[in-house]
Amino acid sequence: MVSTVQNTDVKQKDADRALVVAVTTRAVFDAAAGDVYGMGVAFPLLQSLQKVNERLLEKNPAESLLFDVVLIATDSQQQSSRIISSTSHYGLEVGRFCFSSREDLVETLVVNNVQLFLSTDRDEALQVSQKGVLSALLGRQEAPSESLRVMLCGDAIVRPDCDPVPASRGAAQSFSARLGEMRGRFGVSGSPLSIVLVTSSGGSKSCGVALQTLRSRGLSVDEAYCLAGAPRGPILSLLRPHFLLGDGVIDLED
Amino acid sequence: MSEIKAKDSAPTGDAGEEKDAAKAHFDNLKTNKPRPPKPQYAVTIAVSSRTLFNMVTERKIYEDQGLEEYVAYQRDHENEPLMPGPAFPFVKALMTVNARLRQLYPDSEELFDIVLMTNNHAQVGVRLINSINHYDLTIERFCMTGGESPTGYLEAYMTNLYLSKDSEKVSEAIEEGIAAATMFMAVKENELSDTQLRVAFDGDAVLFSDESEIIVKEGGLDTFFEHEKKFENTPLAQGPLKCFLEALGKLQRKFYAKNERLNCPIRTFLVTARSAASSGARVLKTLRSWGLEIDEALFLAGAPKGPLLQKIKPHIFFDDQMFHIEGARELGTISAHVPYGIGQKYNKGKLIESPAKKK
Repeated sequence: MVSTVQNTDVKQKDADRALVVAVTTRAVFDAAAGDVYGMGVAFPLLQSLQKVNERLLEKNPAESLLFDVVLIATDSQQQSSRIISSTSHYGLEVGRFCFSSREDLVETLVVNNVQLFLSTDRDEALQVSQKGVLSALLGRQEAPSESLRVMLCGDAIVRPDCDPVPASRGAAQSFSARLGEMRGRFGVSGSPLSIVLVTSSGGSKSCGVALQTLRSRGLSVDEAYCLAGAPRGPILSLLRPHFLLGDGVIDLED
Repeated sequence: MSEIKAKDSAPTGDAGEEKDAAKAHFDNLKTNKPRPPKPQYAVTIAVSSRTLFNMVTERKIYEDQGLEEYVAYQRDHENEPLMPGPAFPFVKALMTVNARLRQLYPDSEELFDIVLMTNNHAQVGVRLINSINHYDLTIERFCMTGGESPTGYLEAYMTNLYLSKDSEKVSEAIEEGIAAATMFMAVKENELSDTQLRVAFDGDAVLFSDESEIIVKEGGLDTFFEHEKKFENTPLAQGPLKCFLEALGKLQRKFYAKNERLNCPIRTFLVTARSAASSGARVLKTLRSWGLEIDEALFLAGAPKGPLLQKIKPHIFFDDQMFHIEGARELGTISAHVPYGIGQKYNKGKLIESPAKKK
């Protein structure tokens, strides 16, 4: 049984133009102490998404290419009323709430035209991406960063035959293009949205190919790190992305 | 010195093996360059974009017209290779040493690893990568931070030496315990060896701490000579470039182990204003106590370093005093300033003719 509730506190986005990002309520909210849930791991992410929207609207009050955040609850332990009231309490810019079940999750995402699904549950994210919906694990930001940091793993761009989740490749490409369009609204510096490219294997030449390929798809990368086989952990812990795309579903702590 | 064998990951069954084979085939198509060494075994040299390439014109555009214009300019010219910068000959020499090491130790990962470490925007990076490819430089790793200082990443890439044109970044690195220096192009170009890497170091406040320099500045030459004689058998404390000399020594010994001492493609020089008779012994004894060798120790007793360096023709010369850097540059030596120690207070911004015939 799936029910969708619109958030009346927030102006609804243009369904055709918005970039719909779904986040699990489990990631956004922690166990309740009182009536209101505590802030979960995804809080900094939501704040960054909000900031991007604010800046986009500053530039153009009629902007329709905005992030549209959907909260998905599959956890029957979290009460729908508390979810809605907590959202209001923190002033989160959430467009709608979907109360679903684990079995109906993918269908819920598809019906809501979700372009990116974010979770803290690796199995859940993997299952979703294998059904063709772009999915990623959330990073654990220790402090809210100034901009939304999206990390792309370039290895699958250069070697599509080695893509670990080919099912969601199409979704990944179209998301990148939309993200690129959004990034293009801002200048080189001072952008509330940063695109970070990391390649793990392959040398500088192949990272250069990834840069140019992304550019040809409309996504201009801000930062690039070519590891060429060097260990990822130290770099990832410094880069602190909000989430990582294009590498199947890997744990940012790896 | 043990050799470390590169290990391939184990196949994961038929599908895994097929995938690995396809991947390997693809890799071979792309390049016949060997895999870069693992950072924990390699001697990692991080170079900035402006030390690797001459970006004077571009820098001017950035300073006069701002970041957006600068990035646009770089994009418009991204298929035009940049001209070599001050670190270019040094990087080519490192590649020469690697080629010799690979001949003698085909499976070893104890090699130089050159990393491009820049705060340039990734869109500028395309031109940098194109330029690297144009000169066929073996730079497989890079870090383009899009504005943030890259010094935070030096440790993550296990950097042994960082070269930049930005003295602030260099100072930051030194404070973090990473050997670093600010590079300066030579006024004219000496012809450098293409078969041997030649590295020259100043002594005090470069290989050694600045403790003795402090004595000179505060007490004068005579006090200095007395002190050095008295403490001749007490090793000096380490300076910021000591670990780099150590790393060079480790690689040199790999050649000695294969009977290549006479033909070793790495040669190190100490070029110090100390004099052999009065203050040189302590320096040599300190090096010995550290288990380090230096191929040639040249004591100038206060004479200018420029002419001697012109004869030595190093690919890089490290000194803590701008006075010596300028002297070296004027006579064709590519120099690298180490912003460490008391020498910075005395030489800041000015080219002072040193009154004391010491340092």
